[in-house]
Amino acid sequence: MKKRSIFALVALILGILSASSAFAQKVTLTVWGRDIPDDGADHAYIKALISGFQAKYPDIRLEYIALGDPGLMDKTKITMGAGSGLPDIFQTWGGSVMGGYADAGRLLDLTRELKNVPGSAAARAAMTWKGRIYGVAPFFAVAGVFVNEGIFEKYGLSMPKTVEGFGPLCDTLLAKGIQPFACGEKDKWPGLALYMYLTNRYGGDASARAASRKLAYDSPAFVKAAQLYQSWIKKGYFGATPLGEGYGDAQQLMATGKAAMHITGSWMCAQYANPDFTDQKIGFYAFPGLAQGGVGTVSDVMGMTDIGFAATAAAASKKDAVVKFLTYAMSPEACAAEPGRICSVPGVKARNPITAQAAAVFAQAKTVTFWWDQDLPPSVTSPLTDTIQKFFLPDTDVRKDLASFEALCVQNIGPVK
Amino acid sequence: MSAHDIENHGRGGGRKTRARDWKRGAFVFLCVLPAFLFLAVFLYYPIEETFRISTTKSLGLGPEIYIGLENYRRLLASQEFLAGLLHVFTWAFWSVVIQLPLAFAVAFLLSYYSNRFTGPLKSIFYLANVLPSAITAMLGKFVFAPNYGMIASFAKHIGWKWLGGVDFLGDPRLAFWAVFAVATWAYTGFPIIYLMARIEQMPKELREAAELDGASPWRYARSIVLPDLGYPLRILAVLCTVGSLKLFDLPNMMTTGGPGYATETLGIMLYRRGFIDWDYGLAAAIGVVIFLLSLLMTAAELSIGARREKIA
Repeated sequence: MKKRSIFALVALILGILSASSAFAQKVTLTVWGRDIPDDGADHAYIKALISGFQAKYPDIRLEYIALGDPGLMDKTKITMGAGSGLPDIFQTWGGSVMGGYADAGRLLDLTRELKNVPGSAAARAAMTWKGRIYGVAPFFAVAGVFVNEGIFEKYGLSMPKTVEGFGPLCDTLLAKGIQPFACGEKDKWPGLALYMYLTNRYGGDASARAASRKLAYDSPAFVKAAQLYQSWIKKGYFGATPLGEGYGDAQQLMATGKAAMHITGSWMCAQYANPDFTDQKIGFYAFPGLAQGGVGTVSDVMGMTDIGFAATAAAASKKDAVVKFLTYAMSPEACAAEPGRICSVPGVKARNPITAQAAAVFAQAKTVTFWWDQDLPPSVTSPLTDTIQKFFLPDTDVRKDLASFEALCVQNIGPVK
Repeated sequence: MSAHDIENHGRGGGRKTRARDWKRGAFVFLCVLPAFLFLAVFLYYPIEETFRISTTKSLGLGPEIYIGLENYRRLLASQEFLAGLLHVFTWAFWSVVIQLPLAFAVAFLLSYYSNRFTGPLKSIFYLANVLPSAITAMLGKFVFAPNYGMIASFAKHIGWKWLGGVDFLGDPRLAFWAVFAVATWAYTGFPIIYLMARIEQMPKELREAAELDGASPWRYARSIVLPDLGYPLRILAVLCTVGSLKLFDLPNMMTTGGPGYATETLGIMLYRRGFIDWDYGLAAAIGVVIFLLSLLMTAAELSIGARREKIA
């Protein structure tokens, strides 16, 4: 009896030990993301990604932490600076911010592992820094013109084929009592999309040359674009109170049919396609080129990572698990859940007509310029958006403000070579 | 007892006293040590680090390069910094000039005419103070927003088109005052309660004597209550001034410091330079300026008040 008890006890201890060792061997991946994986339509992808990954890889424990915006960016920056407490994977837009982390040795080089993962060239480029791949971008956003097609049909209007065509179109809309453009410039960054396009149409790759210090930010392409922008503001194309309206207000103006166009990123597709949000018929169009004297064309598109993930150096010992997660993030299985973003993965179809239109604009793009505030060094990003907001002030001399911005760039990035 | 004995006794007593003093000293030291360590780690060290980082070119990643006072030179050349500095001083001035008299008036009236309605009124006045800044900012935006805001809607309703068209948060001439109005509503609750606590502690005989002498409420407030509130008002003035120098949440959430730099503050600039632009050296320099100005203003306000009291 006693022997049997001892045997049972030993068996129990061995059982517990083996179970705990199996538990200890289970790899844990810590992922920092922006959105809560709840039932919200715009969180559908992150929810599908987490639940799908856990189901597919039960041997990997996933600790997903939603930090919100700007919590994710702030916490990531501080942790990267400290160099400790890094997650294994974090959500990022790539570009120069991610590049800064890579330069500091905080990221895990996954070039060999990720180079063959199917995806669009632009999305891969956004997650590449100095020739090395650090992550994946399952969704990519392009800037374009959201158009209230219902209003256009009602008044017999059509999307202009040239930038110059916006003038008569906007005048007609104003005469009908409709605000031509919704913007939301109170939040400072929304006005950038139009300025990027206008600069491109006047100066082609002017922004890329300015960023690499081959051109000044107060050179003719930038000034002409700013002057045209300001003339539109003065004519009231952005409404009577453009600086009193935030990005949320701009969405409301579109959703209620008070504004006819909204130049912004395709991340708005899901919302503008959602009948619970708007009863208006909204479409997505490429930004046109100039009729005369232009360099950039309609197939030059502004874009940025919509959802991307990169791995940190802290995950070096768990490379296999990290690659599994990043590969799964790029799988059609996970991406199919997304209702409104442009998917970088081949074979994933858009789930609504607006996203399909945006995806078509992206597919026809010959060049993709990354969103300036994501591509420029962080030291000049908020002065950039400040400068653009000043275009909206009635007494602003845009040439002078661009010269001030250029002086700041000389100080922070270097002089034009 | 011989002199020798007395000397020996004295020596022994001195030794005992010294031992007792040493023990007492050690006890006091041990009691103070946790608080001192806490302050050293969480206050003195960060202050020292902020001063040090302000003399470096620091991006948070990679090495810090010593650049002396270059960050301070950049600050003085920055239009944004000068706008921020002007705004925090303007804010501090008007906070003291508007919020404190308003708080005194409300506190006095609530105390003087105390009845069953003034209790709930106290809570109503203090309510704004306990609301999170995010909620206060949202309410402020809702009041001042063009098109759908409360003022715009009301103006449309009564046919005041001119008022409905005013862009309170988007017009650089008005934005500062719109944010200040929200802050006055939100931040006056605390001084009201603080002053009321003092007013209600005043002996009732003073009021009775004043009333017997035929003093009006205004006369009683001006000649008896107000002089008694010198110290609390001075403390509130210091809190208002230091709070203005650190101002961040309301203007950041309502206008992000815009339009242009119309509502820029040192706090907003610090946040944006540090956390968006990664220019930690410059952000630290702004932190140092805020710290030194707070120190200076506090010392100045307290010493001026103390001197006045001494003269009185």
